[in-house]
Amino acid sequence: MNKDDFFIGWADTPKVDRRFFLGAGLGLLAGTAATATGIAALQKPAGPGTWNMGEVRDWRGIATAEPYGMLRTLELDGTPRTALLGCQGKCGVSAKIGALAGKPVVVQGSLIQRGRHAMIAVIDGLDWIREDVDGEIGDLAFPTPEPIMNVSLNGEILDTKCWFGAMRPSSGKVHKSCASLCIRSGLPPAFYVEDPKQQSALMVMTSGGYGHNKDLLPYVADPVSITGQVQRFGDLFLLDAPVSAISRL
Amino acid sequence: MSHDYKAVQSTPFKKRFDLWLLIGIALYLVGFIAVSFSTQPAGESLHPVQVVIRATGTLAFLLLTFILCIGPLARFTDRFKPFLYNRRHLGVTTFLIALMHAALTIMWYHGFSETNPLVSVFISNPRYDSLSGFPFESLGFVALIILFLMAATSHDFWNANLGPGLWKTLHMGVYFAYAALVLHVALGAIQFNKDPIYVGLLAASAVTVIGLHLISGIAGLRSSHRDGLDGWLKVAAVADMEDARAKIIRPAKGEAIAVFRDGEKISAVSNVCRHQGGPLGEGKIVDGCITCPWHGFQYRMQDGQSPPPFTEKIATYATRIVDGVVYVNPEPNAPGTPQTPSQIGASA
Repeated sequence: MNKDDFFIGWADTPKVDRRFFLGAGLGLLAGTAATATGIAALQKPAGPGTWNMGEVRDWRGIATAEPYGMLRTLELDGTPRTALLGCQGKCGVSAKIGALAGKPVVVQGSLIQRGRHAMIAVIDGLDWIREDVDGEIGDLAFPTPEPIMNVSLNGEILDTKCWFGAMRPSSGKVHKSCASLCIRSGLPPAFYVEDPKQQSALMVMTSGGYGHNKDLLPYVADPVSITGQVQRFGDLFLLDAPVSAISRL
Repeated sequence: MSHDYKAVQSTPFKKRFDLWLLIGIALYLVGFIAVSFSTQPAGESLHPVQVVIRATGTLAFLLLTFILCIGPLARFTDRFKPFLYNRRHLGVTTFLIALMHAALTIMWYHGFSETNPLVSVFISNPRYDSLSGFPFESLGFVALIILFLMAATSHDFWNANLGPGLWKTLHMGVYFAYAALVLHVALGAIQFNKDPIYVGLLAASAVTVIGLHLISGIAGLRSSHRDGLDGWLKVAAVADMEDARAKIIRPAKGEAIAVFRDGEKISAVSNVCRHQGGPLGEGKIVDGCITCPWHGFQYRMQDGQSPPPFTEKIATYATRIVDGVVYVNPEPNAPGTPQTPSQIGASA
């Protein structure tokens, strides 16, 4: 019986199958390389955020818990600047600031930075913040939000920590669950009018001067329309609007 | 030849196949990661974890697409039989790559919070009532569970203990898994990046799988047969029956029948291999035994039994030749029942 034209796995492989397998294998490897190259090359850039996780240091300034955990400090560029505060994971820290709100403090953590936007990811445990007994409030007192204009905008609600550099990329449908977890757990949400990777100035979202929380979850990372008031809060912009002013596009 | 499920058997061909497979996987992953970092603007590259998530996700999807094309392609040409023979290796490998994709995704996007990551997969996006907003992660999770069940039961131990019917039904779940994965990609990654090439690649993958199965299915229907003589089904003229090969007949009820010619003898057996349900009628007679095209399991023509020491049995059927035309009785004999072959040239 001539078996040369019929492949049987446990028998010697026929020549015709060996030749075909060699050709098909080389073709598949070439196709594999081409496909990997094509898919990878078409990916959008993720944006310029960075997180230097290994560089944990002390940051001196004035802390506040409202609307979110923040530190106003001179240690970013020598001028009064606001750094948002978050934990190492997906959670806010405003509830842990407590009686130290409005006082000079020392915060221990690493810097997440995108352009002028900064967040300090504080270390785990209870010792991440302590009163700075030698510190002075000086120019670092948090100002009262100053209304600038009323606006109606289309865009996307995201969490600040990921957009600042904890995640790359940090927007869109694939990031929706992550953004929801972050906002649910108290990290400041922000509104992005443009393609998030092209936008240079964010607006931290508030409602009546207080922070949002789970009320925003149904709209996170979806295309939405919002009507509210843009406010200046020191070097930050706020977008103050109740959740009822948000509608899905 | 046949075997019990006592040990995983390896052959030189399987080893070569696995080597090629590993080279292909390494080429894809290394190429994807290298191109991802080299094409992103300085300082704006994707996070390494997210690059690996994408590399493993796309590779698992493409591998599964290829796996599902092997079956129909092997019906069109015998040259794809070697791929069919090693399909289980591809399947288990695909599951492991998909598992890596899922583990990294769940850790990265759903971890690091007070919410249980597995719970987060299903509750973080509650928009189950929306098509474009649908939580695509849940579809990927369902597909992963199916792939796990298939990988975990891929060993012949499960085939033998679950029975070929249940085992086959379980493994047909791969089509449900693939449909879930197409939706997983369409409602997830494609919503983030709607580049026409991505959309086209996804559509081409799905259309290729569906198209090949439709064409293969239609080709199979053509071999269905209802005409006959006194309740016996017409197979073909003797002159049209290739030596050592079979014609497949699909009766109105029961399993398809493989009618073989071996020299001057005609015999019929069930078309369904006892091992994994492979199409015996697409096999060949080798060393006097019907040989399954999938994994080389063998049965004797005259009684449907695997040659000793193996014990598998399949149903046999009576055949006869009238005026140069072969007919088969659609009523099966019990598996392993001796059945005298019809002799070409003898009177009916």
